[in-house]
Parts: sequence; C-alpha cells; structure tokens
Amino acid sequence: MFMHILKYELKGGLRSKDLIIWLILFPIILGTVFKVGFGSIYEKTEKFNSIPVAVVEESENKAFRQVIENIESADEPFITASFTDKAKAEKLLDDGEVEGIIFSGEKLRLTVKEKGLRETMLKSFVEQYSVREKIAMDAFETAPEKAQQVIETLTAETVSSCREIPVTQGNPDVYAQYFYNLIAMVAIFGSITGMTVTSRRQADLSALGARSCCSPVPKSISVLASLASSFILQTICMTVCVTFLAFVLKVDFGDRLWLVYPTAIFGGILGVSFGFLVGSFARVSEKVKTAILMTTSMLLCFFSGLMMGNMKAIVAEKAPWFNNINPVAVISDCFYCLNIYEDYDRYFTKLITMAVTIVIFITLGIIASRRKKYASI
Amino acid sequence: MQVFKAMMKIMRKRLPSAMIYIIVFIVISILVTNASTKDNKFEVTKLDICVFDEDDTPESRALTEFIGKTNDIDEIENDRDAIIDALYYKRVNYALIINKGYAEKLAAGDTADLFGSYHIDENYSVVYIGQFLDEYTTSVKAYLAMGKTVDEAISCTEEALSQHTDVDMLRVDKGGNSHYSVDFAGYFQYMPYILIAAVFTVICQVLVTMNNKDIRYRTNCSCMNSSKYTFQLIFGSGLFVISVWLLLIIIGAVLNKEMYTGRAWYAVFNSFIFSLVVTAMAVFVASFEPKENVLNIITQVLSIGMSFLCGIFIPMEVLSDKVLSVARFLPAYWYVKANNMIADIEPFSRSDVLLCCLVEAGFALMFIILTLLVRKVKYSGAAIATSAKKAAVSH
Repeated sequence: MFMHILKYELKGGLRSKDLIIWLILFPIILGTVFKVGFGSIYEKTEKFNSIPVAVVEESENKAFRQVIENIESADEPFITASFTDKAKAEKLLDDGEVEGIIFSGEKLRLTVKEKGLRETMLKSFVEQYSVREKIAMDAFETAPEKAQQVIETLTAETVSSCREIPVTQGNPDVYAQYFYNLIAMVAIFGSITGMTVTSRRQADLSALGARSCCSPVPKSISVLASLASSFILQTICMTVCVTFLAFVLKVDFGDRLWLVYPTAIFGGILGVSFGFLVGSFARVSEKVKTAILMTTSMLLCFFSGLMMGNMKAIVAEKAPWFNNINPVAVISDCFYCLNIYEDYDRYFTKLITMAVTIVIFITLGIIASRRKKYASI
Repeated sequence: MQVFKAMMKIMRKRLPSAMIYIIVFIVISILVTNASTKDNKFEVTKLDICVFDEDDTPESRALTEFIGKTNDIDEIENDRDAIIDALYYKRVNYALIINKGYAEKLAAGDTADLFGSYHIDENYSVVYIGQFLDEYTTSVKAYLAMGKTVDEAISCTEEALSQHTDVDMLRVDKGGNSHYSVDFAGYFQYMPYILIAAVFTVICQVLVTMNNKDIRYRTNCSCMNSSKYTFQLIFGSGLFVISVWLLLIIIGAVLNKEMYTGRAWYAVFNSFIFSLVVTAMAVFVASFEPKENVLNIITQVLSIGMSFLCGIFIPMEVLSDKVLSVARFLPAYWYVKANNMIADIEPFSRSDVLLCCLVEAGFALMFIILTLLVRKVKYSGAAIATSAKKAAVSH
C-alpha cells in the first residue's frame, strides 16, 4: 500500500506543476539577481587593490616623486598615482576615478571625497612621509653622528614584521552567505509541500482528505508515503537549485561541493517536515496555515541574514542559542562550515541538529494527526 | 460600488491571515531600524581589532594601547572557530598576535616575525594594519639606532606617529538641520520591501478570490463594463494599501520619537507615492490569476529581488553601475534614490526628489494601463467563449 500511495502522490505532485516549477524558478531568478547584484562587490570593496590617487605637484618635490615611483614599481603596489593638474585631479576625484588627491609641495596635503578605510590609508600614507621626516630631524638634533645610520634603517628593505597565519582555504567572500541563505530559503519553502501532505489527509480541508480518511489504510502509512513523495519532490528542487548556483552562476562553495548536495537535500527534508508539523498542529484553514508558514519562514530567513548580511552575527552576539535552533540558520551554517572550516566537527554538529529536528518534527506531526475523526463535515 | 463592497467583505474575512503578515513585517522593520543604527556606513575608518598578547610585557602593552588610540580593541575568545567567525562576518577586521619575545627582539632591533595575524583574505584592513605595524617597528628601530633606550624610543615613536595631516573634503557636508537622521532613513529604506511583501500577499489573495471562475462569469454577464470594474478593484486595494502605509508611518514616528518635521515630510510623500505603485503592481500581478502557493513565491521573488537590485538590502553605493542601469527600470530604484537624497547620502535637491516621485507615479500609471489591457483581453466575451469551447471539446 505504501508504494501505491507513494506512486500516486508523486504523480499528483508532478502534475500540479505550478508549485514545483516555481520552487525551481525561485532560486534561479533570485540567484541570478544576487549574482548580478553583488557578483563583483567583494572584489571591488573588500579585497585589496591598489588605491588610485592623483598627484598634483604644486612645487618641485623630487623626493616625493621618487617615493611614489618606488612604490609603483612593486609587484602589488599600494597606490597607483597619476600626475596631473589641479582641475583635472578634482574632476577625477569627483567622478570616482581616484580615491584622493595628494598635493605635493613644501608640505603634503590630501583631499578626499568620502570617509572610508581607503581614505584613511591614504592619510596614513601621507603622514608616513612626515613621520620619516620628523625621525630624520630628531636624529640630526640628538645624535648627528648616527644620523646616516638612522636614515639607512628607515630606508632599508625590511622583512614584514607580521607573519600571516591563514585560517581557511575556503571562499572568504562574505557575500557568498547570501547564496547559502537562498538555498536555505528554498529548503524552508519546502514547508509548503509539507503542508499539502497534511491538508490532503484532513477531511475538513479537501475532498482528497475526505476520501483518504474513509479508506482502510492506517494513517501512519499513508502519511509516511505522502511525506516520502514530498521529500523526493523537494530533493529534485534542491538538486536543481544547487546545480544551478554552482555550475551556471559559478558560486564558490569551497572545495567540498560533493557534500553541499546532501546538505541541501537534508535541509529540504527539514523544510518539508517543518511544514508537516505546522500543518498537523494548526487546525485552521489552508490560507491561515500558509500565512503562518510563510511568515515564520520569512522571519527565520531574516534572522539568518537573508535581508541583512550582518544579522546572523548580531544574533550570535545577543542570543547565540537562537542560531542553533533556527532551522534556516542551521542549514546556511552548514554551507558556511563546509566552505570555511577545515575540520568537520562543527559541520557534523549542525547535521545532527538537523537530523534531530527532522525526527522531532515528524514524530510530533504524526502524533498530532493520528486518531483524528471527522464525524460530520 | 458593488465590486468595492464585495472586495471589502472578502478582505474582512481574510483579515486574520493578513494581520499575521502585517505584524511579522512590522516586527522585521522595527528590528531593521534598531540593528541598522549600529553600522549605517559600509566602511568605517575605525577598525575593530582584537589583540592576543602572548608576550605580555610593558612594551607589548604599550603597542596595544597605541593601536587602541586610533582603533577599537575588541575582546574575543582565543578559539580558532570564534576568530574565523568574527573575521568572516567582519565583527573584527584584524586579529593580531603579539608573539612571545616581542620586547626582547624589538630591543635588539630585530623586526622580523614580531607578530602574527589570523588571515582570511587580503583585504584593505590587513594591508593597512600590516603597514602600520611595519612603520611602528621601523620607527622604534630608528630611534634605538640614535642611542635611545627602548622606553624613550617607544614614546618618541608614538609622538612621531601621532602627527596628523589635515584632510580636505572635496565637497563639504551640507548636513544642516535636515531633521532626517541616517537611522531614520534606514527605516524608510526598508519600507518598500515591507510594503511589497505584506501588501502583495494580502491584496493578491483577495483579488484572486474575486477572479474565481463562478464569480467572474456572474460579473461578466452583468452590465458593468470592465474598466469600471478594474477601477473599483484598484480603489479598494488602494484603500487597503494606504491604511497599511499609514500604520507604517505612525510606527515610524513612534520609533523616531518625534513627529515628522522638515525634510522628513519628503520621505513620507515619497513612500506614499511608492505605496500607490505597489497597489498598481499588485492588481497587475493578480490579473494573471496565480495560484495561492505560487503567489507566495512570486511575491518573494519580486520583493527580495527588487530589494537587492535597487539598493534596499545593500547600499546603492556598492552596487555596480551596470546593475544600477538595469535597476532604473524598476520603481524601487527611484524610491531609494529619492530617499538617499533626502538623507543626504547623495546631494539633496528638491526638484530631483520630486522628479523621482514623478517617475514612480509614472510606473503606477503604467501598471494600471497594463492591468486594464490584460483584463480587457483576458475577460473579453471572445476570450471567454474560446476557453469555454476548449473546455467543451476536452470533455
């Protein structure tokens, strides 16, 4: 009987094309929007690139020109300078072609347009010049005999005093988490299919429900069969979603893509069970059930950072326990763990959390939906 | 006004599920306003740095203190996962380790390998702090070479590094008394998302019910013409949207703890025009008669998609020009642009703000005309006759 019901539930699910199509289209459209929207933001704003700057020489300052040329000859220069006149430089700055204008004369002056880290770096670059000047002056004042040695110290090529300890091999792009949340959102939208399972079993909500209630099949079997069919349909959606993101949009999931698939599918099952739970408990019309599901899903997505990238960090600071029970956050955290951490400890903790939640949701849902009798409708 | 009355009746029935949506979205917008007060600028000049001082000598403490003068020092648990999380989510920009033996090496004039830093990617903060550390140690070394003691060298270095160059701004902040703070602009910035998401789910559901086949057929054989019918629908939806909008405006005033004054009224006007656009859009989408479950997903695609493209969820400044040139064809772009001008993120000009509102109104008009067209074509006698014939044949 299980297989029989499963077969017809699957057929029914595939025939009511709308939902499946939209569940597949949804990540495709939004994923494309995300990719177009901030595909290059990370490269542009976070990752270090040479800072373009205009230099206006108000009077001859050979030393400074020398410094600039030295810097520019490096492999990854700190700044790229273009020498020009004042009017042109201001136009460049206004158009955003350069980040700042350095006026070189007796004293260096800096003009910028915005207040940001790059501007701060330019400021410290200009200051660095006067710092060295001051040190040299101090040297001449206090110990003129050692001045030469001091200047050598200042200008000598030194090894960097700071050794960088890489902590991850993954994709450091913080914007990738929007894609993790998108997958998590598709997973949690599986709750809609999960909910239809229940309304197809409740005689007061659908004709199909009335029919299946008067059949002699035990409810547990029919419920499990239709849940299984929802799982299969949701698995299809999740697979298409991850494939599209990874291979068409080329989102970097780190080097363990083969684990991203089962994680996403697992997340989809969690979503379906969530819908099943809400559908079994709330004895209200389908519209109100949908409203409850949609809004809770949106809220959970919001707390996981779909609408505001730093939301998850804020939650982690204020109420860390919530990130562990919010299914959307748990699903998207799994992808984050796969990408960033080298070990599997935290990933497995998250997976176990998901498994436990699924079991709890389904058990509670079955308990709530068993022995429901409809004397008259 | 039968159509309008019928609509109100359905709406009253749908009120419970509608209220769920509206309350949740209002909660989101309150949270957003509270959260965004913390960082409303994409880049901050003061970096958040955590220091793990393994040397723990007067010299290393002096360095930590000096870094703290121009940056914020954050305490973080010395646990690899916690550090990775903090760096990834930019809660700290730089995780510095002062290696054991820092003081001794510094005194000996050896500047290699004094520090370590947990490194996730080569971003601006990493380069900036790296340069700062090099500059600091080189200067100390230079003062040591002059024959000063370590203490003297450190204090001289701090003095030398504390010199400031005045920085001119190309355009001076016009700021002034605009009565419209950046926090408050955040509330208005998120409003289109709330309006689209909350209004669509409610209005479209009601309209889809009104389009129910039997009800449709009954309306169609009455003597009411289709544009009159559509206008009553728009009027009914508009009334609902404006009440939601009014609610949002009142909550805005409560959150801001004062009545709107001065320039804030432009923001109120701007959001009013936008709510009209949302009404027209909702009526337009509903005329395609989507199923309820599908409708929810379409709503999500529209609201979230538009929010990302038009600079509601991520600031417009960081979006690329290409994206923005596409976004121009979406109404939310003009809303956000006007809001940015009112909040002084872009230079304010009254005529430009009004121009943006005018463009939004243009979108509303366009959607109304499209709706009229779609409905005319879809529900014309001929169209219904063909669909009836098709149904008859398939039976």
